[in-house]
Amino acid sequence: MTTANSELPLNHTPGHVKHDGHNLTGFIIFLCSESIIFLAFFTGYAVLKITAPEWLPTGVDGLEVTMPLINTVVLVSSSFVAYFAERYLHKGNLPGFRIVWLLTMLMGSYFVYGQYVEWSGLAFGLGSGVFGGTFYLLTGFHGLHVITGIILMGLMLARSFRPGNYSKGDMGVTSVSLFWHFVDVIWIILFILIYVWQ
Amino acid sequence: MTTTNYDARVLKAPHPVPGAPDNWKRFFSFNTDAKVIGIQYIVTALFFLLVGGLLAMIMRGELITPPADLVDPTVYNGLYTMHGTVMLFLFLFPILNGLNNLLIPTMIGAPDMAFPKLNAAAFWLVPVFAVVLMGSFFVPGGPASSGWWSYPPVSIQNPLGHFFNGEMLWITAVALSGVSSIFGAINFVTTIIRMRAPGMGYFRMPIYVWTAWAAQTLQLLGLPALTGGAIMLLFDLSFGTTFFRPEGGGDPVLFQHFFWFYSHPAVYVMVLPVFGIFSELFPVYARKPLFGYKFVAIASFGITILALIVWVHHMFYTGTPMWMRNVFMLTTMLIAVPTGVKVFAWIATLWRGRLRLDTPMLFCLGGLFNFIFAGITGVMLATVPIDVHVGNTYFVVSHFHYIIFNTIAFGIFAAIYHWFPKFTGRMYYEGLGKIHFALTFIGATLNWLPLHWAGLLGMPRRVASYDPEFAIWNVIASIGAFMLGVASIPFILNMVSSWARGPKAPPNPWRAIGLEWLLPSPPPAENFEDDIPTVINEPYGYGLGKPLVEDEEYYIRRAQEA
Amino acid sequence: MTPVTPKQPETPKQPGPNLKAIAIISIAVGIDIFLSVLIAQWSYSWLPIQASSAAPYVDDLFSLETGIGAFIFLGCTGVMAWVVLFNRASKYDERDGEPIEGNIKLEITWTILPLLVVFAIGIYSINVNQTLQTLGPKQKYQLGTDPTAGLPADPTSSVGPIDVISRQWSWEFVYPDGVRSSELHLPVGERVNFRLISEDVLHSFYVPAFRLKQDIIPGSVISYSLTPIREGRYRLRDAMFSGAYFSNNQTDVIVESSESYSDWLNRMEREPLHPGLDPGREIYERRLAKGNKGWATVPPAPAPMVNDPGDPTAPHEA
Repeated sequence: MTTANSELPLNHTPGHVKHDGHNLTGFIIFLCSESIIFLAFFTGYAVLKITAPEWLPTGVDGLEVTMPLINTVVLVSSSFVAYFAERYLHKGNLPGFRIVWLLTMLMGSYFVYGQYVEWSGLAFGLGSGVFGGTFYLLTGFHGLHVITGIILMGLMLARSFRPGNYSKGDMGVTSVSLFWHFVDVIWIILFILIYVWQ
Repeated sequence: MTTTNYDARVLKAPHPVPGAPDNWKRFFSFNTDAKVIGIQYIVTALFFLLVGGLLAMIMRGELITPPADLVDPTVYNGLYTMHGTVMLFLFLFPILNGLNNLLIPTMIGAPDMAFPKLNAAAFWLVPVFAVVLMGSFFVPGGPASSGWWSYPPVSIQNPLGHFFNGEMLWITAVALSGVSSIFGAINFVTTIIRMRAPGMGYFRMPIYVWTAWAAQTLQLLGLPALTGGAIMLLFDLSFGTTFFRPEGGGDPVLFQHFFWFYSHPAVYVMVLPVFGIFSELFPVYARKPLFGYKFVAIASFGITILALIVWVHHMFYTGTPMWMRNVFMLTTMLIAVPTGVKVFAWIATLWRGRLRLDTPMLFCLGGLFNFIFAGITGVMLATVPIDVHVGNTYFVVSHFHYIIFNTIAFGIFAAIYHWFPKFTGRMYYEGLGKIHFALTFIGATLNWLPLHWAGLLGMPRRVASYDPEFAIWNVIASIGAFMLGVASIPFILNMVSSWARGPKAPPNPWRAIGLEWLLPSPPPAENFEDDIPTVINEPYGYGLGKPLVEDEEYYIRRAQEA
Repeated sequence: MTPVTPKQPETPKQPGPNLKAIAIISIAVGIDIFLSVLIAQWSYSWLPIQASSAAPYVDDLFSLETGIGAFIFLGCTGVMAWVVLFNRASKYDERDGEPIEGNIKLEITWTILPLLVVFAIGIYSINVNQTLQTLGPKQKYQLGTDPTAGLPADPTSSVGPIDVISRQWSWEFVYPDGVRSSELHLPVGERVNFRLISEDVLHSFYVPAFRLKQDIIPGSVISYSLTPIREGRYRLRDAMFSGAYFSNNQTDVIVESSESYSDWLNRMEREPLHPGLDPGREIYERRLAKGNKGWATVPPAPAPMVNDPGDPTAPHEA
């Protein structure tokens, strides 16, 4: 099927050209779209909070901020850790990449665990008016994204054990890293909306 | 000069030539060739056009007399809800994605889409959510019955209290449809941005590619809002939250904002590709360049931007403050401007042309004629005081059917006839095509023109029964509707028999100018394969004597010898 | 030798304005304007009787847009018809048309002109909105509490506030002195204020003869005012889908003279309460009698207890 380039006139482009892949472009477009759904939830939260006649359910005075703040610090730091892992990969240092990448995953897992601990200690549920509904919807949806990010990172980590997997390019690590930063930024906005703006 | 980038995986997959009769099985497999996926989408969509049409026939049967005497009112509500849902999510969006799959790679000289497996996955989600949606007819309590808008609180009343109810299945199906559309949108936009032939800068792209790009951008920006609203609706329905229930401090109008933030751009997602089809076909059948190509191209994105800031015009009397109504009235009226640019450009394209009235051209002319009318009623609906009177009446129903059917479906039929020879390798029967056009045009006009007056006189929409003074309009409308049902017969006959044993089609039966017409009919698996032409001129160069690509004779000969 | 100025080449005569084309276009535009004005006039007859002070404004705006719309529609489709009739290629003529790619001046004109037209229509419409002044404040309330507490009265209205209670599937009107009715009686010529309340799902208060519509939102109460200007009996329809028997959720508005209205109020005060107009119930009972066949629906709300159950058989004018 391959035609030697020299046989074709200069204005005919042969099919099998070396290419750098469209995955990153596609993934960035996907992230732009995904951010809109969070934007929709944030807007809904703000509107409901401002217009509800009774915002907090009876018996609830507000949300505790300390534990979530610690979780936030861990999550945001994990983004920097992920960045360093990427640097190792670009330099070809696979063992370094694996360890630092794993550290990112552990920090992310701690965040999920921290979220679970917070949820179990709360005095209100999903059905506790719009306050309960929006709280669990936002944090839950975000938490799902964190878990997805950890799974994707695990996939990248597993693939690093395939010989020569990353020799021709980062094959998705940049995209997963980008996803992780995205999840991070979403959390910062979420934290401000839910915990700071009380 | 843009370097073309291909995904090496595309070129490894084995694909037989589309159209060869013994290869029909590939249409039932997970095939990653965009041309196969395109046909899969189109045929699936046409099947659901018939399903949605059947529901409409029952509805018009009910509405031919004032009382609700054909079916129970609860059944009528389910029917009209499913009619709208099926037509939008199982006919219109899939068929437009099908056309995108066929046309975008071939028009830009790419071998396939950027993400072929994602492309196939996007298609196969369609039968999956179709089963979910159709299945909802059979659960206790029946399907969703609150309109394709599914406004709470009525949509989440769940009278029987089951978890698996029609509304829940409806929300699931719509969510899956959204996922399928997003997959498609990522694919189409990446392909257009990254995989154009050398020499094809943005202002050498065919208008269909511009409008498809504009439309898919809207999908990417708008759909997630609907998904968000749908998730919240599902939680209210099934998990005890109160986002839209007043009991817990929720607001039903908030859902409307989420819903329409997507669903208004959605109508532009549907109409923009049809604008693209008109822009492609008028030059061919008038043998003239498209008038004002650059304005028309840019107007596509003008529409995209405006489409995102008009959604409240669906909520003028639903509980929005007056200042909001005034703002959105102005933004909505603004959309008439880029749309007008396109309409005038098409008419100017026709002016002093050498017209041939083949079936595709007839559908385009009919579609344009109807669209001008529909655009005018659209400006009326944008006007708040008028909308307060005619909103939620048959005036609105008539306006949007004039757009969706009398313009968009006409455009889709035009596209199917026009590109049928290219992608099936056979010519369709022109006589049957003309009959199809005549029945469709007359039927569609009879169906929706009279109902404007019913709306002006105050007949609400979504009703199973109505006051006797509206009877005359409804009788005429029902006759038109039954005629449309009959019109599907010559269409189906034509498509099936032409594909099976129509005369073989040459590479360029319409003597059209475009990269897809430099390919054989049907094109091989990777379109231009190893030999992508370099584009050297703007499209639609009819009468200018300039070749579209370098070495054009070579490609023409290559297509004919294939 | 005297230098000889070379003979200047003759400037070719500029073609004069194409008089024939200008004449045809002027006549066509003239016919278009004439027909559009006729259609604009005719459009008043497409609308119901004008029974509220808002109606003439709405109808005038509609007529204007119909006229402009007719002008554009006839103009565009007229050109299309001309082209289809006179610009057809004959069967074996494979030539191309004139290769006109564009005309910047024309394109700018047909961008700017519509922009000005829609802007003008927009400003006019905002003024009409201002004039109509129908929409009052909307206020959320905690379910279970009195919806009308805290909603300010409309200072511009002389009648009311009349509570409009919409349910699945009936209407109930509660007058300030406590009279309850299934039909809405109003005195002609006086501005009346309503408080729109829903007890279950979204409904819509729509009177085509008034040209007015306002959705009713559960959990909120909306203040809405209007002025009827013509005596008569007009349909009030629920225009927002509200469930199984939503098509039947209709009643009548009776606009009558002040004396007649006061008289009615006095008589109704002495009437005992009986179940009012409840169109959904009859259909629902018939359905239950036949074995509850059909798709799911909530049962209708209990019939409102009213002094005046009204007369659903009386014919309405619009």
